[in-house]
Amino acid sequence: MATLIVALIIGAILFGVGLYGSLSQTNLVMIMMGVELMLGGAAVNLVAFWRFLHPEAYSGQVFVLIVMTVMALEMAVGFGVGTARFRYKGSVEMEEARDLKG
Amino acid sequence: MLQTIFVGLFGIAAIWFGVVVFTTSSMVRSALALLFSQVAIGAMFLAMQSEFLGVLQIMMMATEMSIMAIFMVMYMMDPGGLMGMDMTHQKRISQAVGVLGALLVIGLVFLVGWGPIAGSVSPGRQVHDLGIELMERSMLIFETAGITILTAMIATIAVALERRR
Repeated sequence: MATLIVALIIGAILFGVGLYGSLSQTNLVMIMMGVELMLGGAAVNLVAFWRFLHPEAYSGQVFVLIVMTVMALEMAVGFGVGTARFRYKGSVEMEEARDLKG
Repeated sequence: MLQTIFVGLFGIAAIWFGVVVFTTSSMVRSALALLFSQVAIGAMFLAMQSEFLGVLQIMMMATEMSIMAIFMVMYMMDPGGLMGMDMTHQKRISQAVGVLGALLVIGLVFLVGWGPIAGSVSPGRQVHDLGIELMERSMLIFETAGITILTAMIATIAVALERRR
């Protein structure tokens, strides 16, 4: 039980650090780093749930594979948008990105 | 007992490097800190006897963060951190939300009754059973992930292409 609790607490703290990063940073790349940390925290929780509660149900591991896919896609699409933004405005500072604001 | 110690140690390393990501001013150091944080998460997976996911996490993040470091140096206004630019906003609110979010989840960890702890599975059987799961029951999910990756690749290239006038 202790290992499960330790893993879940670490997952929660990683999520908190990622949340702080994604809210406080002004640069798109740094915001994406925060999101990566949050997803990392979620993956730790998923592996802990699989290993300590239901090791016979492999859908838990499949869920982690999907989270890893989301991490890779988030980075790829984020950099695609960042590249387009950099070409258009010369910066990826999100403070200046108010184009879509109504 | 040994497993708890290793999960805890790797977890502390993951948190420490996660904090360094947002406290260092050099972008290369920041990308490397995120790489070490993700590798520590992979080591936690290994300590929790999830060998396949642990190795996959370490291999994936090593390549992903190397690419991220290049983009960070390309797009950041002060990649070396030599000008002392502050690239943060709403710091107090963000800190409060981060701490509250973490405390809320930690509170939930202690409030929920998790039930009995299961025994371990041998690595060989684990990889075999995961392969069967991916090729049988979860095949549609696995294939959908593949199609999503392909779609995202095409969309990303389309978005990033230079517009010709």
